[in-house]
Amino acid sequence: MKNDVLRIENLTKVFDTPEGPVHAVREVSLEVEEDEFFSLLGPSGCGKTTTLRMIAGLETVTSGSIAFKGRDLSRLPSAERNLGMVFQSYALFPHMTVFDNAAYGLRLRHVPAKQVRDRVMELLSALGLEGLHGRYPSDLSGGQQQRVSIARALAYDPDMFLLDEPLANLDAKLRVQMREEIRRIQKDLGVLAVYVTHDQEEAMSVSDRIGVFRAGRLMQVGVPQDIYRDPTSLFVADFIGKINFFPCTVVAADSAGGKVALRSGREVVVGRFHPLDESEREEFGVETRAVLAVRPEHIELRPHDAADGPVGVVRRELFLGSIVRYFIDCDDATRTVVVESAHPPADVAEGDTVRLVTRPEHALCFRG
Amino acid sequence: MATPTRVPSAAVPARRERLGGRKPTRDWTPWVVGAVTAAVMLLLLVYPIVTTLLSSFVPQGEAISWRNLSFTNFERFFSSPMYQRAFTNSLVVSLGSTFFATLIALPAAYVMARVDIPMRNLIMSLSVIPLIAPPFIGAYSWVILLGRRGIITHFLDQWFGLQVPSIFGPFGIILALSLSYFPFVFLIVQGALAAADPYIEEAANIMGASRWRILRTVTFPLVLPSIFSGAMVVFVRALGNVGVPSVLGGDYYVLPTLILFQVEGFFNLNGAAAIAIVNVLLVLLFLLLVRRFSGKKRFVTLTSTTRGARRSAKLRDRVLGSVYVWALLLVALLPQILVVYSSFAERWAGTLFPTQYGLGNYRLVLTNVLQPIVNSLTLSGAATAMALAFGLITAYVALRKRFAGRWLIDLTVMLPFVLPGIVTGVAYLTTFNSGWLTLSGTAAILIFAYFVRRLAYSFRSISASIGQVDPALEEASVVAGATMGGTLRKVTIPLIAPGILAGGILVFSTLIGELSVTIMLFTGKWKTVSIAIFEYLTSYRTAPAAALGSVVIVITLLLVFFASRLLRRSMADLFR
Repeated sequence: MKNDVLRIENLTKVFDTPEGPVHAVREVSLEVEEDEFFSLLGPSGCGKTTTLRMIAGLETVTSGSIAFKGRDLSRLPSAERNLGMVFQSYALFPHMTVFDNAAYGLRLRHVPAKQVRDRVMELLSALGLEGLHGRYPSDLSGGQQQRVSIARALAYDPDMFLLDEPLANLDAKLRVQMREEIRRIQKDLGVLAVYVTHDQEEAMSVSDRIGVFRAGRLMQVGVPQDIYRDPTSLFVADFIGKINFFPCTVVAADSAGGKVALRSGREVVVGRFHPLDESEREEFGVETRAVLAVRPEHIELRPHDAADGPVGVVRRELFLGSIVRYFIDCDDATRTVVVESAHPPADVAEGDTVRLVTRPEHALCFRG
Repeated sequence: MATPTRVPSAAVPARRERLGGRKPTRDWTPWVVGAVTAAVMLLLLVYPIVTTLLSSFVPQGEAISWRNLSFTNFERFFSSPMYQRAFTNSLVVSLGSTFFATLIALPAAYVMARVDIPMRNLIMSLSVIPLIAPPFIGAYSWVILLGRRGIITHFLDQWFGLQVPSIFGPFGIILALSLSYFPFVFLIVQGALAAADPYIEEAANIMGASRWRILRTVTFPLVLPSIFSGAMVVFVRALGNVGVPSVLGGDYYVLPTLILFQVEGFFNLNGAAAIAIVNVLLVLLFLLLVRRFSGKKRFVTLTSTTRGARRSAKLRDRVLGSVYVWALLLVALLPQILVVYSSFAERWAGTLFPTQYGLGNYRLVLTNVLQPIVNSLTLSGAATAMALAFGLITAYVALRKRFAGRWLIDLTVMLPFVLPGIVTGVAYLTTFNSGWLTLSGTAAILIFAYFVRRLAYSFRSISASIGQVDPALEEASVVAGATMGGTLRKVTIPLIAPGILAGGILVFSTLIGELSVTIMLFTGKWKTVSIAIFEYLTSYRTAPAAALGSVVIVITLLLVFFASRLLRRSMADLFR
């Protein structure tokens, strides 16, 4: 199964600024497979773009290595790495036609004109750009410009396909359409793709695997489902989707799970334990040694007298179509508890006192 | 599927040996550019400045050596009344011109930025004409208008019984210089006002401030730094201008004309060097004072909003604004208009208006002064090419590369700015007149001086163009496999070509009428158009001077107009 093609080890980037050195990327290691779609996900300023730019050779490497099929790229000039890259601003050459833009890399590789023509035309039509080859980028819509920049990046069969927030400048509907298209063409060509985004939904929907960044560090790598279901840190749990935190103390723990006690003393059975980082504990306002984390859709609301569990008061009920979202004041939680339900209980209304119930396999505990 | 990779903790040190995997490919461009910049800096700036400084401490005609050092040349500022007068006169003239230029420019800048008056583009374009037309060409027009037997003098006397102070002396010089240089303040302040975040003024308005109060407490303080930088330019120009006080000075000497007098009269280069040093010290003093006043006041009001400030559409504001702006333009352009008008006068002696018109003056100058025209075009062309090549590489490196020596580029570009034209002239004359690098009498000395004087123009205009190019375009080209040279050739240069050309035109057109440096460095073989005009003017042959002046004004105007079309920007933007 393992067939690493891109192998990054201990990659570090330190920028010298007038205010002193800034660690943009710290000791990042990851492997990407042959035709994998890999996303670097994180909030702005987390180092994901710097990592991509180091892979592209647009940023020098402070230390660590980037190897492609065993060859170290980290000191190779960008031009010799044979990469295709799509920029956030598309970076289409405004003084060249669509055709010339797409043919740019092929011509640099001295491909015969006939082949350039065939390849570019084939790509343009695969991307739905037939008939636009003579236009200039300024005559195209945002989505069309995006497609041209994809064609330009893929025309010369690059070893890696790098995308830096390619959908950030598109409207919401086009974004969904383009991300499907990017994934389709990436799978058709079987090219390794590294994709940078700050949009977790986008990352989840296109990626084979995701690497979540935070403050220059790679926090967790995994398939979207694993990252969502089994986050290994409070940050990832909080950044990917929504989650509720309940400070607690561990009462019993073994390999199959355990039991924790909340502030109110109520006990909850949990399915899994993860280690809790001391700095995260402070950052998320957890005063106890452990914290229980449950996703909104994994909490069930029951009338106060119908069940056992933490008590809360329904402050607001939002009808969102396919689901109903509740905001609940609960003394056991660090902040307002969010509950989402596809089948809202009929007997719960705003102002009601309710019980919060979850199943052990959905209760995740971080402990220090 | 892959298991989540645990992130190694920070405790793992970077493995040093990995760094040595492959020899890093060095990017030599910053080094090459650094070397070129350093050469320009040392040879064309530091070397002349140091030589001038040293020779100013050496008595006239003596060689530079330790034993010869003395304060003789500077003592004349204490012993000679002529030196003392020239010093005070220079202060009066440059401070006066700076004050009046700023005074007349500010209302115009405010009107253009805040009142919705018609024909804005035309007004902005006309406002740069005083900058394009060399001030000394229009200076004599003031004699025709306000001289003892001038046209305006005549009517003022006849209709109102008013007497005009003598045009020869401080009045005429300050008048001519203020009206030539006010656009520097106007353009900078108008730009700052137009770019200022409109929400700031609106916030003040909503809180109940009157328009006058907003102007006084919000708008004015915000643009104060721009006012200072505009005034700074005017001061340096006025202090270094030799043409206007030569034409309108009579026996009223200022430092630049005193320098000219020392060089032309006695070939006293050491004395001239001392005066030049005093001249530079005045600039530095003024620069420090301005820094002191505005140093801590740097406001950034440019925000994400692209909305411009709201312009008043009230009829009263529009009428008053239009009247002021057009009156200012009329007065400022009067000299140039009169130059063109009098170039057609074939007989104009003892009468108020010419008695005979024709093209005689043009025939005369085109047969007699063809060589100076060719010389001007050659010298300016060569200097422009140099300035563009230098501007392109330095601007590219300054904007696109990170390296330690960037301050050198900034310094090299900024240094000529504090050197008034006449000072550059003296420095080059002193330095390259003899010694291991003798350039006197060659075209090279003029070309180098022109190049140094206009370096900042081409650097600024090209770096503005490069600044418009998204760096991702160059990165896209490099990632696709192009070398740096290839990227520059295929992507960067095609994109900034209009900017390069426009910068070139700007440099070229302002060099055609250059006088301050030329007058120090020209020789018979390399006489230029500006010198020919100057010689006509100082020998009172004003009609051919006007014809030649008109040729220069029209050619430069057309060039600048062409440049603005090329860039699809207004002519005013080119000078901002």
